[in-house]
Amino acid sequence: MTLLRAEGLAKSFGKTHALDDAGITIRAGEVVAVMGPSGSGKSTLLHCLAGILPPDSGTVHYRDRELTSMNDSARSELRRTEFGFVFQFGQLVPELTCLENVALPLRLSGMKRKDAERAARDWLGRLEVDGVADQRPGETSGGQGQRVAVARALVTGPKVIFADEPTGALDSLNGERVMHLLTTAARETGAAVVLVTHEPRVAAYSDREVVVRDGRSRDVEFAR
Amino acid sequence: MSIGHALLGLLEGGPRHGYDLKRAYDERFGHDRPLHYGQVYSTLSRLLKNGLVTEAGVEAGDGPERKRYAITDAGVTDVERWLATPEKPEPYLQNTLYAKVVLALLSGRSATEVLDTQRAAHLTTMRELTRRKTDGDLADQLICDFALFHLEADLRWLELTAARVDQLAVEVTR
Amino acid sequence: MKRQRLTCAASDLALGVRLAVGGSRKSWARLALQGVGIGLGVALLLFAASLPNVIDARDDRESARSMATKGNGPAPLLVEEQGHAYRSDYVRGLYLNARTPDAPVPPGIDRLPADGEIFVSPALGRLLASPAGELLRPRFPQKVVGTIGQAGLQNPNEFQYYAGDSSIKEGENAVHGWGAVQHSRGINSLLWLLSVVGLVVLLFPVLVFVGVATRLAAAQRDRRLAALRLVGAAASRVRLIASGESLAGALAGLVVGFGIFFAVRPFVDRIPISELSAFPSDVMPTPALTLTVIVAVPVLAVFTSLLAMRRTIIEPLGVVRDQKPVRRRVWWRTVPVVAGAALLLSQVGKLTPAEKPNQVPVVLGIVLLMLGIPVLLPWLVERVVFLMKGGTPALQLAVRRLQLDSGTAARVVGGVAVVLAGTVTLQMMLAGVEQEVQGNEKRQAAFNYLSVKPRQSADLNGIAASLEKARGVTGLHRIEQAWGELDRGGYAVINIAPCTALTKQASIPNCTDGKAYAARESTGLPAAQSGDVVTFQESGEKWTVPPVEVIDGPGNIPGLLVTPAAARGLVPLNVEFFAELDPAVPDAAEHARNAMASYSWQLHTYFGGQDDTNEAERVFGVIRRALLAGSLLTLLVAAASLLVVALEQVRERRRPLAVMAASGVPRGTLARSLLWQNALPLAISTVVSLATGIGLGVLVMRVFGAEVAYDWAGIGLITGIVVGLTFAVTALTLPSLRRATGALGLRTE
Repeated sequence: MTLLRAEGLAKSFGKTHALDDAGITIRAGEVVAVMGPSGSGKSTLLHCLAGILPPDSGTVHYRDRELTSMNDSARSELRRTEFGFVFQFGQLVPELTCLENVALPLRLSGMKRKDAERAARDWLGRLEVDGVADQRPGETSGGQGQRVAVARALVTGPKVIFADEPTGALDSLNGERVMHLLTTAARETGAAVVLVTHEPRVAAYSDREVVVRDGRSRDVEFAR
Repeated sequence: MSIGHALLGLLEGGPRHGYDLKRAYDERFGHDRPLHYGQVYSTLSRLLKNGLVTEAGVEAGDGPERKRYAITDAGVTDVERWLATPEKPEPYLQNTLYAKVVLALLSGRSATEVLDTQRAAHLTTMRELTRRKTDGDLADQLICDFALFHLEADLRWLELTAARVDQLAVEVTR
Repeated sequence: MKRQRLTCAASDLALGVRLAVGGSRKSWARLALQGVGIGLGVALLLFAASLPNVIDARDDRESARSMATKGNGPAPLLVEEQGHAYRSDYVRGLYLNARTPDAPVPPGIDRLPADGEIFVSPALGRLLASPAGELLRPRFPQKVVGTIGQAGLQNPNEFQYYAGDSSIKEGENAVHGWGAVQHSRGINSLLWLLSVVGLVVLLFPVLVFVGVATRLAAAQRDRRLAALRLVGAAASRVRLIASGESLAGALAGLVVGFGIFFAVRPFVDRIPISELSAFPSDVMPTPALTLTVIVAVPVLAVFTSLLAMRRTIIEPLGVVRDQKPVRRRVWWRTVPVVAGAALLLSQVGKLTPAEKPNQVPVVLGIVLLMLGIPVLLPWLVERVVFLMKGGTPALQLAVRRLQLDSGTAARVVGGVAVVLAGTVTLQMMLAGVEQEVQGNEKRQAAFNYLSVKPRQSADLNGIAASLEKARGVTGLHRIEQAWGELDRGGYAVINIAPCTALTKQASIPNCTDGKAYAARESTGLPAAQSGDVVTFQESGEKWTVPPVEVIDGPGNIPGLLVTPAAARGLVPLNVEFFAELDPAVPDAAEHARNAMASYSWQLHTYFGGQDDTNEAERVFGVIRRALLAGSLLTLLVAAASLLVVALEQVRERRRPLAVMAASGVPRGTLARSLLWQNALPLAISTVVSLATGIGLGVLVMRVFGAEVAYDWAGIGLITGIVVGLTFAVTALTLPSLRRATGALGLRTE
């Protein structure tokens, strides 16, 4: 089943054409690696897909809804409820404890504090970082922080997880661990993962890959 | 690496003498291991026998062999098939891959496609290794990681080459 | 070697200045804000520093126009001093009769007025020319030949005149010259206290604010300096560089401050309250105080920034990493508050109407209490915030943020708190004084008689006749007076009049001719007892007080009230007329006074029934507005610095904010968390400052022994303004929040 479908996406920042007629299709539950050299438009494609960035032209469909025609608050809500995000760094609120960080999206959706934190603690446990629950992100190691971020992305039971260089700031062992936990959890919950990376070993956790070059995306997975 | 495919690829630019073919091959691919004449002629005669090349006339002169060879349609198809088929992902592929890229460029085919095909094959192998690794014990993991790191190096090289393919095209066709 | 070190230090300082002015638009904006903030403080300080000069100049001119009555030979000038009451104002002046051509000319005019001529002060000239002065004009029929210059006036809004009158006969009115030394009048103790509190309240926030202003955009600077430190600059060098940075702000502030001072100075003569207005040329800071300001402001700036930076300098990594802050200790922070309250409490009840309270403890107490607020506030904010859990996600974000770093916000609102507390205290004191004044006015307003006291030489019958004819006068009583010393000590006034007149002025039950009555004095004792002997000074005669009845209840005239039959043998010294006024006729008192205009300096009138409540309301209104304007100005500057802090926090937290927005946190939630972040410290500081302000107000009023009054409207207004400012600051941060969380927030690194 097709979850996300983008067609003819174009996006410019001033004179730089970040995307130029790019397209991609994400099916439910699959892990897709988006690869390409830096500056090729990988992140811009992800931002457009997730409705963070409105494209200059082209369409993005999530199921039967068109993202590009939704207003900001509707897209916000969609991102909060249907999507999860993991970035390279700086994604945890530095003032909140790790537990509160994970509980935050649940609380924003109106869940009671106690319930939200119970669910958050559960997820921290699944990602093997329940030990840092009461610490602030600044007090944890990079690998722990990324795992907390993964927990936060998964806690709402999203349909798609967008991961932009999730291991970019980690060494290979920590990076592999995070990737393993992320993909395992995503497969268990049936969430699709859009994984932007330039590391082949990270991309190897995907089911297929899409290469972005000069703002154009090509599906490299041939029929098996 | 297949010398036959390389010679076929070189012949795509136009008919040549065996001696010319050896010189062109050595210049592009044979930096540390130049071809022997014997190798050239035995390969050519095999290609001739398989109908992939034809003799395009003999020149008069006092040199050893003054036969000119040309590629046949079947030869062109063979080159095409060869370029489109990814090499089995394993270490030390650079010679073959490099030859494929250069020959694609020389014959005006898409070198990027050659590279993408190869990277897809590499990544498929890496996925398998990754899967084996996650399911296996520590020994499996270490062995798989060894292969993975090597394949990753190849893939990096593929990416780098892909990024510089335009530059290479200029140099090769000069 | 030493020289080298000096040049090195100078270049470090210069580097700091360069970093402060850095060239980017942001650093200029920061410098401008610092300049305006410190500049406002400097301007206020300069005005305060001018006060001694203003007072001295007033006293000098007051002395210069006082009369020298002693001299040799015949008097060159005869002078009768006369004040004309007009509604709530009082017009002072002199009637002059020059006997010789070289008679001394008083300051402020270039020649003596001839008979029928008058010089008026600019304010009096304006009043006479305006419709409001219509009923005053008949009393000045003379020809106006000029205005009195600054040299003859105490302040620019004084009502003053010099009139020529050749009918003045020689008496005890000879003047040989001008400029006799006079001792300056003392200020009453309440006014003194009011001005001390006012000055402290005014100056203290200025000092606090100078400190806050130098810390504007401090987080950014901390990072910059921490980076310098990590690169390998020694602590002493970083200190020098930091000093250079704050020095730049302080110097800009000094320039701006002097600019504001000289720009505002020409307008000080427009202050509508005569006693508060001053000639612009008098407003000149004394050299010593000016020098103090010029030196103290940069020193304070450098000192506060070094003090605030001590952690950065010692552990530069602490700035770079988000570390759990050290818990603030409380004990030393409570010292100023406790000490201040104790000092003030120790003075409660020590003040008597006649003497000032011990100045040092009162002033010190007030200063300490004020100082206590910004000292205690960071700890209090930290504690309160620490105990909060945060109900909604927005509140939780704000609370957690404040838990990590409440210092900056607390410092800024500390400045606000002092202004608030000071304003509340002043408002309470004003309300107390106002209540008292209004009460007095109400009591007197019921009195409906114009008292007229002619001089001994005046034409009594003529005055009585013109009074009886005056519009609005319904009756006239004549009371004769005598006064002398009591043999048992003290002084007695004897009023002689028939019962018809006496009963109007005092509540005497069953008044019968032949009886004598004694009113109670303020001590509660009767003015005199029967058998007391009164000695009249001028004649040397003695009179024995007959049996008297002591009367209670309200009365208008003090002393003994004697019916004619009981006053046999008494020679009256003086006559006082009481003209009964028709309350239905507006300005009846002024009409009656105008009827006697031809007697200009020969009589003195007093109308106790003048309703001055409007005037009192006007004066208090002006003071209250000035107070409000002052505190509003300070609050605005404080709000500006709060805005800088808020903007900087958004900028600093750009990445997490952008990520939160990307992962679907509604922008409203983020905006609300900003609001909470601004509102929480302000709310805490408002509560603290209201409590301190009211407490201080109560204490000060107790020290003064006055009734405590609460100006709830004023307190409500100022609190409302603070709430409004919180919203305004948050609203102004929203565009930058929008930018940070906008589509490009994630992209720009």
